[in-house]
Amino acid sequence: MARPEHARALLTAATIVLTSVVALTQAPPPTQAGTPATIPAPVVAAAEKIANDPQVLALVKDQSTDAAAKARWNQFLELVRIPSPSRQENLKAAEIHRRLVEEWGFSRSEVMTRADGIIEASDTNIVDGLPVYNACVVIKGSYSGRADAQHYKGQYPKVLVEGHIDVVNPEELPKAGDPSIRIKLQPYAQPVVATPEELAAIPDELSFDARGRVVENDKYATASKVFANAKEAEAGGGVRIYVPGYGDMMPSTSNAFVLAAAMKKHNIKPVYDIWICGTAGEEGKGNLAGVKQLYGFDQKAGTGSNPLNIVANFGLEGGGTVNFIGSYRFEMKFKAPVPRGGGNGPSAPEAMAAAIAKIADVKTPSELRDGAPRTTYTVGRASCEPPPAGRTVVPSCSLEVDMRSTRKEPLEEMRQTIEPMFQAGASAENARYGRKDASPEGITLELMWYGLRPAFVADTVDNPAVHAGLQSGIQLGAITSPMVGAGSGSLNDNVPANTGIPTYQFTLASSAAGAGGHAFWEWGTRGAPATEVARMHRVLTAALIVSGFHAADGTVVQPSVGPMGTRTREVAR
Amino acid sequence: MKRLIYSLAFSVCVAAAGTPAFAQQSGGLRVEFQGPGGHSSGAYGRVSALHAAARAVILIQQTLPSGSYQITNLTGGNSVNSIASDGLIEMKLTAANAAAYQALVATVTKAAADGAAAENAFRGVKAGDLTSGAPATVRSAVTPF
Repeated sequence: MARPEHARALLTAATIVLTSVVALTQAPPPTQAGTPATIPAPVVAAAEKIANDPQVLALVKDQSTDAAAKARWNQFLELVRIPSPSRQENLKAAEIHRRLVEEWGFSRSEVMTRADGIIEASDTNIVDGLPVYNACVVIKGSYSGRADAQHYKGQYPKVLVEGHIDVVNPEELPKAGDPSIRIKLQPYAQPVVATPEELAAIPDELSFDARGRVVENDKYATASKVFANAKEAEAGGGVRIYVPGYGDMMPSTSNAFVLAAAMKKHNIKPVYDIWICGTAGEEGKGNLAGVKQLYGFDQKAGTGSNPLNIVANFGLEGGGTVNFIGSYRFEMKFKAPVPRGGGNGPSAPEAMAAAIAKIADVKTPSELRDGAPRTTYTVGRASCEPPPAGRTVVPSCSLEVDMRSTRKEPLEEMRQTIEPMFQAGASAENARYGRKDASPEGITLELMWYGLRPAFVADTVDNPAVHAGLQSGIQLGAITSPMVGAGSGSLNDNVPANTGIPTYQFTLASSAAGAGGHAFWEWGTRGAPATEVARMHRVLTAALIVSGFHAADGTVVQPSVGPMGTRTREVAR
Repeated sequence: MKRLIYSLAFSVCVAAAGTPAFAQQSGGLRVEFQGPGGHSSGAYGRVSALHAAARAVILIQQTLPSGSYQITNLTGGNSVNSIASDGLIEMKLTAANAAAYQALVATVTKAAADGAAAENAFRGVKAGDLTSGAPATVRSAVTPF
């Protein structure tokens, strides 16, 4: 997930509401705190040139029509209802692949990802033992045609623009039947649902035809109303639109593909290739699988080969940060001993419960000490293996823990506090039955999965992606100064940053309000289409600053970054 | 919640009515926890239904006689980086007679409520509190199966 740690509590709602309101009322952009970046003069000139280029402006004008706004909205609704649990994104990736070729104007050769999860040029096509269901398309640049073009093992430079397509809920794809998520509509006058049952009982929902197209009936009309914020939505008959991914982060990712199709339609010609990707595995046990494939990140070695020779990265989940916190994640299995003599023995669920109960009482450094870096944890998931037929003993139970901090030291402190509690839970249960730890008669532990988000602490706020991201915003009036916030993010960007690739984040979404991210009650309300267009203008400008651009007047804006991406190990192919 | 508890009491009474007073009785219980959930970091500080369930298991250990129960499942949550909005304990109870069985059910029901209360207290929320418009507390419900 997405936002920098200091802003996460407000998640989608506050951030997007504030920016939407700004866009609608033409108020000046908010003053920004942080460290100023030093924007090179060529980047300032490039931003002005690109943002005002007739081809770019034609794209923006085209996207500013009511018909385009409706098409974006419908596309979002049609994509967000396709369930896409982390590591099971194949349905959503397949629909994006289909639309790329059949509807969005691309040839099959421009689709860079395969249905089986393979990117041919990557050396990391399996992550955590599973295929990676990214969906990527290329806007071809001119660079490879140069006589002096440089490449890394056959890979010419690329700029990556990505947003993730996986969602926390549902936890898994349904085993049978129509997998589509039912998008429920609830008036603001009613309270936010308190249980999944209340959500399921909401009578109003959007309808879709057999081809997956949203039916434009009265419910659709209600859901499609545009508002500036929750207050106006409540007063104006707006509804909460409940669907996982509304806030995190399908509106932005869906619009990335709108932008890709628009770039194709308007013949936007970069110098370096631009890849626009819907990435897999950002959430939960996804373990950043999508970007690990794109950057050839070897989790055991902690290194990235950058096999595609990506030279700059733009994430679309918002944030605008340069520091990325690491996180530790563990899946631990508590295994019950084989029952002996029909008597009672240590219980896997009770051992796991003992561990969770101990962890539940942990106070983080930031809760214990004033001024300590923000540190968090949770036991996010637990499950037990059902007893075999005719037996009553649960063979095993597993828990998953997440812990993270904005700094390494408190994160290590959390790990040192929590990690021993796994064994403490097993030992407590063994002790109740007088069993020895690590014996065949006691509960034993097994590490099932270790999740790592590699950290990166920048020694400077200045890099080509940050410059392009900030200057595009200044050029288009979204921000007034090149300030980089002091916060830290936990995003897909962790991987490129750790691999040495410059990265910056913004969003293509525009929601009037929303809440419930990562929960069963995730919802949003439609925001201003004009905000989406303004953000597309900015993202396009930023990407073209870095990639270089063939302007309508025949001149070429040269790439703001060199053609050889960095890497922390050589590619293995 | 009250409706569920009344329903449970009714069910147990009905079950007991059909069982000889001094015959051994066994049955299953689902102990469910519901909380707001949220992002593990962005929504940190919210209660966890899974943490509450684990707290309740420990209370069950401490308050039920050995051999009177068997926990057959403990589950909850949707992803490692989300605060669990749901928790579930499934268990079997065995008692010497219907009255003792009812006492076990009552004890489990109290342990569930106490587990939820402990989690709410740890995170400083109380009934009626809201988080982004949703109920901020974790709640428990016990039903037979």
